[in-house]
Amino acid sequence: MARLSGLVTASALALAAAIAPASAQEALHVAWYGGNWGDAFKACVADPFTKATGVAVVPEVGTSTVTLAKLQQQKDAPTIDVAWMDGGVSELAEAAGVLAPITEKGVPNLKDALPQAVYSNASGTYAVGTGYYSLGLTYNTKEIPQAPTSWNDLWKPEYADAVTIPSPANSSGVPFLFFLHKIWNAPAGDFAPVFAKIKELKPALFFDSSGAASNAFQSSEAIIGAHFNVGAFDLAAKGLPIGFTVPKEGVWATDARLHLVKNAPRAEMAQKFIDTALTPAASQCLAEKLFLGPSVKGVSVSPETAAKLPWGAKGSVENLYLLNWTEVNAKRAELVDTWNREIARK
Amino acid sequence: MTAPRMTLAPLLFAPLAFFAAFFLAPMAVVALASLTTDEGGLTFAHYARILLDQYHWDVLWVTFRIALATTALCLLIGFPLAWYLVRIVRWRSWRRACVILIVVPLFTSNIVRSFGWMVLLGRTGLVNQGLMGMGLTERPIRFLGTETGILIGMVYILMPFVVLSVGNALAKIDTALEDASADLGVGPARTFWFVTLPLCLPGAVSGAIMVFALAVSAYVTPALLSGGQITVFSMLIFQQYSSVFDFHYGGALSVTLLVLTLVLVTLAGRIGERGRRAA
Repeated sequence: MARLSGLVTASALALAAAIAPASAQEALHVAWYGGNWGDAFKACVADPFTKATGVAVVPEVGTSTVTLAKLQQQKDAPTIDVAWMDGGVSELAEAAGVLAPITEKGVPNLKDALPQAVYSNASGTYAVGTGYYSLGLTYNTKEIPQAPTSWNDLWKPEYADAVTIPSPANSSGVPFLFFLHKIWNAPAGDFAPVFAKIKELKPALFFDSSGAASNAFQSSEAIIGAHFNVGAFDLAAKGLPIGFTVPKEGVWATDARLHLVKNAPRAEMAQKFIDTALTPAASQCLAEKLFLGPSVKGVSVSPETAAKLPWGAKGSVENLYLLNWTEVNAKRAELVDTWNREIARK
Repeated sequence: MTAPRMTLAPLLFAPLAFFAAFFLAPMAVVALASLTTDEGGLTFAHYARILLDQYHWDVLWVTFRIALATTALCLLIGFPLAWYLVRIVRWRSWRRACVILIVVPLFTSNIVRSFGWMVLLGRTGLVNQGLMGMGLTERPIRFLGTETGILIGMVYILMPFVVLSVGNALAKIDTALEDASADLGVGPARTFWFVTLPLCLPGAVSGAIMVFALAVSAYVTPALLSGGQITVFSMLIFQQYSSVFDFHYGGALSVTLLVLTLVLVTLAGRIGERGRRAA
């Protein structure tokens, strides 16, 4: 069965390759996300890399999961050299065996990365973070002049029907359940109390995509809820009355990580690309453009940007609740199923 | 005879290759995944998990109910619109403008149009402002997160398919048949019922099948307008592929929806066939 499916995939890929226009031979293929994320990766990492090496960068745009699917499909003959994937998917990629170890020999700047941002296992370093982002408490400053201080404020009766939190279709949905489980001190492994409490929530919507959350805040459909610092400050920058705060319980956060693809056709240049991403200049640039919390030591940002980082104005990476993704991935299917049955039906 | 066949082969190759690469191959990958375990062994467990669980039937029922209601409303609104365009509009440029108005939204992405409806149907949106302004309701009516909201979005997005296919059928009807019916002393209502309607039934059925198939598999519109509070089957599939990464169970969900939709569409096709024969 596996061989047959391999054959089908291979012939599909061969056909697709025959139809696709031939691209420049030497260019480095880098998988990254769409929209303003891709623009920032291009401006902060790819352009400086091309300037220094003369090697062009061809973006392979897709979300983390799409990238992982591509890497799995082309496992035997990869065309992608370097891939950006989020925390969580990164661990799945390592388990799927599509990643090569990143070493200080190939990537000297690895030594300047924060220890929390270097992800290693028995076979070496499989990923390195290029910046943190968090899911914080976001609110409409016109409707709620005083910044809320606790996640429990979402259950206040005055916010009924105007609250939003992520659904499990969003990459932050399942992690957010783990986060609530932790801040409410629920018994280990038992999510029943978390679901019971969410059932009492009166939401405007459970958002599937970050865009849907932005849209809801923009139209005042939601006036309080969870949103990514990247999305919330993007709205604020457009002049909308949107605030983002790190409440007393803290925030859940994750990071966009870089990976070296196993058997990458242009491995040497790929390592150089990762090296470029780990320079203070690139890290600072990503902080200014996407409000990503720098994962490189000794990066300083402007005060305006500092206030928009995932840990809030005064925090640091220590204030972030970073998950053990192996634990999350093990419980993912069960939590999504319970959510569907308990929450997402009337 | 051989010469045209020789020229036909290379002409056919491109579409066939395209069909194989972008339709058959992905379908085969999904179907295979739905029948295998992680280790590659054959199993029907993923289907058992779906079909033996009342929850999935509940979601299927919601999905088909919304799709059927969408189809019915599209026909109900689309038919008179098509009639207006083909039979009533006499001024050619106005008809052309109307057709463009109907077709242009198809060029815009579903996501953008669904976002538009989220804004219009929201608590403080235009629809609620209008209703409250006219004194029809005191509190904003909740559309988002309800089946009504999903229906409004789906009907808006899918109606052009009915208008175009019914309009096409109407335009092809030989009006002499209706004149003959009138000459034989039958009133306009009965002429419509016994002559015109059966003649455009095939167009209506093909439009309805398109709308139904698209509505059953729609993801973006229900996902955005349900606010995550109503689940349709495509959302379950998306979850498995996007966040649970269980391609086996996700594949089985996809094949289940596909097969059930095909069964219903075939049934509808039979009705259309009968209509054509009757005509």
